[in-house]
Amino acid sequence: MKAVFELTKIQFKVTLRNFMVTFFSIVFPTLMLLMFGGIYGNKPTPFFGGYGTIDVMLPSYIGITIAVTGFMNLPLTISEYRERKILKRFRATPIKTYYIIVSQIISNFIMVLFGLLVLVIVGKIVFNVHYLANGPSFILFLLLSIFSMFSIGFLIASVAKNASSATAIANLVYFPMLFLTGATIPIETFPKFMVKISKFLPLTYVVHLLKNTWLGTGASIRTDIIVLLSVMIVSFIISLITFKWEYD
Amino acid sequence: MGVIEVDGLKKFYGEVKAVDGVSFKVFKGEIFGMVGPNGAGKTTTIECIEGLRKPDAGNIVVLGLNPYKEREKLYKRIGVQLQETNYDPRVKVWEICELFSSFYKNPIPYNSLLERFDLLKKRNSFVSKLSGGQRQKLSIILALIPDPEIVFLDELTTGLDPKARRDMWEFVKNFKEEGRTVFLTTHYMEEAEYLCDRVLIMDGGRIVALDTPENLIKNSGIENRIIFEGDGVNIEKLKEVKGVIDVKKLERKIIVYGRGENFVQSVISFLNKEGVSYNNLNIKNPNLEDVFLKLTGHEFEEGKDEGSI
Repeated sequence: MKAVFELTKIQFKVTLRNFMVTFFSIVFPTLMLLMFGGIYGNKPTPFFGGYGTIDVMLPSYIGITIAVTGFMNLPLTISEYRERKILKRFRATPIKTYYIIVSQIISNFIMVLFGLLVLVIVGKIVFNVHYLANGPSFILFLLLSIFSMFSIGFLIASVAKNASSATAIANLVYFPMLFLTGATIPIETFPKFMVKISKFLPLTYVVHLLKNTWLGTGASIRTDIIVLLSVMIVSFIISLITFKWEYD
Repeated sequence: MGVIEVDGLKKFYGEVKAVDGVSFKVFKGEIFGMVGPNGAGKTTTIECIEGLRKPDAGNIVVLGLNPYKEREKLYKRIGVQLQETNYDPRVKVWEICELFSSFYKNPIPYNSLLERFDLLKKRNSFVSKLSGGQRQKLSIILALIPDPEIVFLDELTTGLDPKARRDMWEFVKNFKEEGRTVFLTTHYMEEAEYLCDRVLIMDGGRIVALDTPENLIKNSGIENRIIFEGDGVNIEKLKEVKGVIDVKKLERKIIVYGRGENFVQSVISFLNKEGVSYNNLNIKNPNLEDVFLKLTGHEFEEGKDEGSI
């Protein structure tokens, strides 16, 4: 257990030292919050079904943090460590090899919680954001969202042939999901055909799930749960089959 | 009983027979070296012994354990330096030392290792700021943290400058004095000759020879050579001198091939007795590189760092 703790600690430090990751998972969502909040405030508006702009957008922005940690940091670190033969070096120690992956997941998980915390604190202080959810169900769906998206990252790390192809795939997954799922730009502003596209992007279901749970709207989230669970299971199984400790 | 026993090891990559039926033993407390050109199968062999690759055939026992199936147990007792490990550049030296220490029950305190390898002043540096030699030292420190019975070093000195290489050699000699067994691979023949108690010469996935460096040279039957420039040497008479096997003349240059303890002495006293004036006299003793050439029939390619089969 000490090994998992130390691995996670060092992984978290390295993530914080990676400017791109820290910026896009912590600073960028907060900037979006301040910007949108600055323009529209947090007064209830019929455009968002009677909720305040910030009340709606804050849970969506959690999607940004999940996307950058899950689609970028997680797969890129694993594939970089594989290419640098660091994964192999860890195998040449007495620790259980899955500790390495577990510690990567935990450190990215902590990063998401950290991003969420910053959003909530800023949202509360600046815009008096409202939290209308039932606590346990929001936590449960947050976990589902995180692990479902992380499993996509794990899949990228497993199927990519080398670190540069992992980077290419990660970017192809990350950027469309960032802008076409409602994580950054509210889905309510999308024209019809963009809404259609968003249906094919798993992060859309994360945003819908977290938003409706956060606001306690009572809208149906069954599709979200089914899609996210399926994505998680399928990605995880393919990853397990294709994962390698070393590139050929 | 060897601390490492390899019996009939085979490892194929598709059509390529990287290791093709290799058997040998390594004994406690020796420095055992594997030499051979790139692609000889050295790294594949060492990684099978380290349990990082699964052999296609054959049996390997290290410290009484099956390295592939009992990897976690084995790594409590051995330390490895892998070829081409490139640590995360965003990690600091002390952080990676602390991390590796956490993997073991009774690690050697890493600060004492940093001091021993003159890296204490780099404690707070990022790995990316280390020189090639310092990075190799860090690799050795990480290999020593478990206080290992066997240390595996794969191409430890490849890419290092001569001074750093010499330093590494002294460190490796010290491991032996501490009672550790050392298993190393190298493609520098002089390194194997200087460091190793026994040398295994590998080529094309097979063992070509295995013995002490002295025996390998002695048994190779390769002659010593005396090379000099001189005029008026009676070649036929020189061929009669004790120990001389053959004489070749290339313009003014004369090469005398011979063997035996008195070979050099008798040739020089012959030259003096004949009153021949000679200059630029050179004596060339065979080294492991000559042995390799003789045993395999091809030149030893030195200095190429790529390729790790």
